[in-house]
Amino acid sequence: MNSKQVLIIGSLLSCFSLVSNGSEEAKQTEHSEAAVFNSHMRPFLDEYCVKCHGPKKQKGERRFDVLEYPIADDNALIDFQDILDLLNLGDMPPEEETQPSSGERQVVVDWLTQAVGIAYESRTITGGETVLRRLNHREYFNTISDLFEMDMSMFDPTESFPGERMVEHQDNVGDTLVTSGYLLNRYMEAADKIVEKALPFEEKPEPQTWSFEGGFEQQSELNKRHTTAHGQRYLNIYEAPNTVRRFGAYAPLYEFADGVPVGGTYKIRTLAEAVNRFHSFNREKVTNDPAEPMLMQVIPGHQRFGSLHLPQPYAPDLGTFALTDDGPAWYETDAWLDKGFAPRFIYLNGSMNIRPAFREVNDLVLANPDPSIPEEDLKADYMAVAIKHGVIPHIRIHRVEVSGPFYNEWPTRSWKAIIGKGKFNPKKTRRILEAFADRAYRRPARKDEVNRLMRVVDVRVDQGLSGFEAMKDGLKAVLCSPSFLYLEEDKRSRSERLSDFGLASRLSYFLWGSMPDRVLMNLAKRNRLSRPDILKSQLDRMLSDPRSDRFVTGFLDSWLTLRNLGDAPPDREKFETYYAENLGDAMRRETELYTRNALDENLSVSCFLDSDFTFANEALADLYGIEDVKGDDFRRIALDDPRRGGLLGQASILTVTANGVDTSPVLRGVWLLENLLGTPPSPPPPDVEPLDPDIRGAESIRDQLTKHRETQACQECHRKIDPLGFALENFDPIGQWRTTYDGRVEIDASGELPTGETFNDIVEFKKALMTHKDAFTLALTRKMLAYALGRRIEIMDRPQIDNIMASLEDEGDGFRDLVHLVVSSEAFASP
Amino acid sequence: MNRRVFLKSSFATLALPALESVSSALPVSGVKASNLRPPMRMVCVGNSFGMYPEQFFPKEAGPNYQMTPLLAPLEKHRKDFSVLSHLDHDIKGGHFSVHSFLSGVKMGDAKGMPEGNITVDQRAAEHVGAETRFPSLTIGSEDGLHGGCHMCWTRTGVRVPPIPGPRELFRKMFINEDANAQEKAADNFKMRGTILDAVRDEAKSLERRLSGQDKDKLDEYFSSIRDVETNLELDKRWSKVPKPNAPFEEPQDRSLVEDIPVLYDLIAIALKTDSTRVASFEMAGTGFDTSFFGFSAGYHSLSHHGKKPENLEKLVEIELYQMQQLARFLDKLKSIREPDSNGSLFDSSIILFGSGMGNGNAHVNTDLPIILAGGGFKLGEHKRYPSERIKRVPLCNLYLSMLQRFGVETETFGISSGTLADLDFA
Repeated sequence: MNSKQVLIIGSLLSCFSLVSNGSEEAKQTEHSEAAVFNSHMRPFLDEYCVKCHGPKKQKGERRFDVLEYPIADDNALIDFQDILDLLNLGDMPPEEETQPSSGERQVVVDWLTQAVGIAYESRTITGGETVLRRLNHREYFNTISDLFEMDMSMFDPTESFPGERMVEHQDNVGDTLVTSGYLLNRYMEAADKIVEKALPFEEKPEPQTWSFEGGFEQQSELNKRHTTAHGQRYLNIYEAPNTVRRFGAYAPLYEFADGVPVGGTYKIRTLAEAVNRFHSFNREKVTNDPAEPMLMQVIPGHQRFGSLHLPQPYAPDLGTFALTDDGPAWYETDAWLDKGFAPRFIYLNGSMNIRPAFREVNDLVLANPDPSIPEEDLKADYMAVAIKHGVIPHIRIHRVEVSGPFYNEWPTRSWKAIIGKGKFNPKKTRRILEAFADRAYRRPARKDEVNRLMRVVDVRVDQGLSGFEAMKDGLKAVLCSPSFLYLEEDKRSRSERLSDFGLASRLSYFLWGSMPDRVLMNLAKRNRLSRPDILKSQLDRMLSDPRSDRFVTGFLDSWLTLRNLGDAPPDREKFETYYAENLGDAMRRETELYTRNALDENLSVSCFLDSDFTFANEALADLYGIEDVKGDDFRRIALDDPRRGGLLGQASILTVTANGVDTSPVLRGVWLLENLLGTPPSPPPPDVEPLDPDIRGAESIRDQLTKHRETQACQECHRKIDPLGFALENFDPIGQWRTTYDGRVEIDASGELPTGETFNDIVEFKKALMTHKDAFTLALTRKMLAYALGRRIEIMDRPQIDNIMASLEDEGDGFRDLVHLVVSSEAFASP
Repeated sequence: MNRRVFLKSSFATLALPALESVSSALPVSGVKASNLRPPMRMVCVGNSFGMYPEQFFPKEAGPNYQMTPLLAPLEKHRKDFSVLSHLDHDIKGGHFSVHSFLSGVKMGDAKGMPEGNITVDQRAAEHVGAETRFPSLTIGSEDGLHGGCHMCWTRTGVRVPPIPGPRELFRKMFINEDANAQEKAADNFKMRGTILDAVRDEAKSLERRLSGQDKDKLDEYFSSIRDVETNLELDKRWSKVPKPNAPFEEPQDRSLVEDIPVLYDLIAIALKTDSTRVASFEMAGTGFDTSFFGFSAGYHSLSHHGKKPENLEKLVEIELYQMQQLARFLDKLKSIREPDSNGSLFDSSIILFGSGMGNGNAHVNTDLPIILAGGGFKLGEHKRYPSERIKRVPLCNLYLSMLQRFGVETETFGISSGTLADLDFA
């Protein structure tokens, strides 16, 4: 455990002396404890530990010859706890050293357990306090979405916020979330955009219709050729999205480049045709699968994000269609479009690189020209020839009609959420702002707060704004206010526990990553939320609400670093399928569904280490070499093959622990130690020759690491790190099974854990890992508690964590139980 | 203004002159008219994956080194630049430490540093303050491996996001808003002012309910309000000063790798028109598309060359391109005469090229590739600093020298131990 960074708080130190000088009884206990320390503990330390952790050497910066009882301070407590943990794990003494008999070990472990327990009990849990915490970007986004009840698929107000600072991958630690002038400026811009999007106009806009037929401009490489081939009569899509060249991959409506005039639901009708689905190209080159119908998808595009024929940050699915094979047909979808967005079209299962096919088709046409083809056509540019007379697979759009806006509800949901059912009336301004502030501040707004908001409105009216526009500026002021931006965790009077409103926010930001809903607020108003039975039933209600998917995503990002998936994009040359099959999203989805399932079914937390099922769609199943999974939908699949079970067989984990090009047992080993086992290794010592990978010869990464480990300084940590990484070497950088490094060298995935267990492959490794399940559960519990509280876990939290773990074991290790135990812990109810 | 007082305020993001002095500092026409000496400029350029050391660093030290393949494009500027070796920040972390290139401090360690992990360019920008329309221009890739270079940071630990392409940069520099937009902007200033007043009072009332660490945390919010107010005041004033005329048509964004020349040209014009005196350029990300070179393997992939000759050849070609573009930028700066001076823009510009990555294949952040040009320094050699651990010279010493040359009165920067020995003015 790397907990030397624990905050040492003065007041806690005095706690110790208080207890030491406390009641007679305590003194008695302490006396006999001290006797055992001298008779058993001291000799044990001298015999087995002090050689490396004593006056001569202090490995791991630990020195035990000077330890005394009673436990003097936090540093000593950490040492005692560490000794206990490592003895329990069997990690110490190192296997090559003299080992204590199991009897000796047991006496010492029992004594330590008791002594450490007494030390913990001697303190209350006030040191670990959540520092005034700003909403992080994730929470800000969700809160805005819930506060305004609006569609956020084309809108991210946090888009230009500077990146957040993480603590051990956790994104919600209060004291490290910085506020700067830069960020406040962005908050003001965002508030403006948010309110203008939510309440753009007072009157319902009239629907209009736009039709597009002929004169279809496309990207410049296509325009001339399309003019030659068909006079720009068609809008053609050739490649899949996400290709290198993006050659005819996005078909925009340039005539409609300014997009729709107001946000609303629009009917998008497309007359489209599947052309040359059944081609005879070599599938290596032209990757369209003739066995599948062509899939056309409508997505939005906005000029603000650059060229309309390139990928853009917002690409929600506005409608996906499998095209028929009998000529042009109409395809229709009703979809929300934000102001300024226009529909564009993509060909989901198009080719990954169509350009070479044009040349090939052109040559075929010219080699044996059909007599019906006019001579001058044959002289045209090769692409024009191929498009007009060849068999290039593509989607051909003949006509597009867009009409709208339509509204399922009027006034809109956002309007109702903010202003109410009727029209706006300036007389209602105060009531509107007060109700909005109640929700935005997650507690009843104070009178002086509402007064201040009214002052904003008055000033703005004086500056010439209408009552409606001025009221909107009042809303913007709420969004820039510290009461909205920070989670104020107020306490109940005369108590060290959170108020019910504070508890409501803690619960909702933990499970929904967002503000409490009306039910929670009402319970808080009546001070009933803190009642254990109500808290429990609310927790279950919240977990069955779809908003709890945000817990799954948010927690996986902080626990398993899944947010980094895609940060090191797999190399396109080596891993084209990653792009062709959109595997990045599929990988993330698998782990999310898996975790969701563990939560819903209350599966044992050990399912994260190993199991006999997973979730996959066809693309992911193909990556895993599993047959008979068809289609894009994810489903639960049984695994006959023990290699894939658990997180360590999931492509998300295997990809996020690689760098997109090759794998490093060191990186994966460190990742496992940090995140799954909660025992991060110390950083490398200075002055070590770095590993400079050389893949010219027959040396494997294993050979190179073995050399690296010959250095004594490296050996110490790498014997813990490398074996874990070796166990995963059969998985390539995107999680495919492999038995050699590019056919060069055989992979050897065997290893030996520092605790002595040996394994030959991933399956045996997982078995060995299962025997260390407690270490895994401890790490998971710590992480979940930290995520729930929005702070780091500190040494004084240990008794609570031990409590949670003990109850968890009693209840059968269920993942959902763990969430319940975290919520019902004392720490959760404390500020 | 007293710099030392300023240094103590750890939350300020910009060293702005006191507001009263702003109006006098504001130019009438957008270009500063009568300075006796041309102002000093600073340009920092960095990439994610470093330079292949074997073909970058010369074998010999001193002025008569034998040209290396990667430095060859700079041959004609040989007397006007130095290549510096064995300089770094003595940190580890591979890709995750590249962001410390211009600060010497990893973001996780910023808290313990008096000036956080502020980067040399942003430190210089603080010094310029409101004298130019843009205290600094940061340009380049927004994304990339693990987020890209993440090259520029303020003293409060906020990454300054780059302007991603020539189109936006061009608009920022040259396009004046029409009357309608100006009116809107003027109203927006009023709205912000009103909201700031309200939330400041709100924060004061919240403060009374808080204690201890929470209160300290809220201090960040108060200083943020002060910063925004100062910026708002400057924005208001600058909004009345017309921008310089555009020298060419608005460019379209292509990929970053194709846009490097036009971005360098825009930087040169920004310096020439005194729109800014500090520019940073980060090259990384998906925009660095290797299909431009006709390669299918990505830049990152090639940087993990594993010493395979075919990979190395391609990697060096990519790096060579960057050096050619740098050489072209130096040409450009030399071709622009400074008004009221005998020199060119080059002479009054400190140019730094380098990376936070030393050897990409080994993922080390030591022995960084560093080129220094311009700025009136005495250059023209391969300066080899000691490689023995105990004698090593921090790269921050170079940054301190650059800052002092720029006019910043400071004795420290990042983890500097002094100015860079043996770096004189011409």
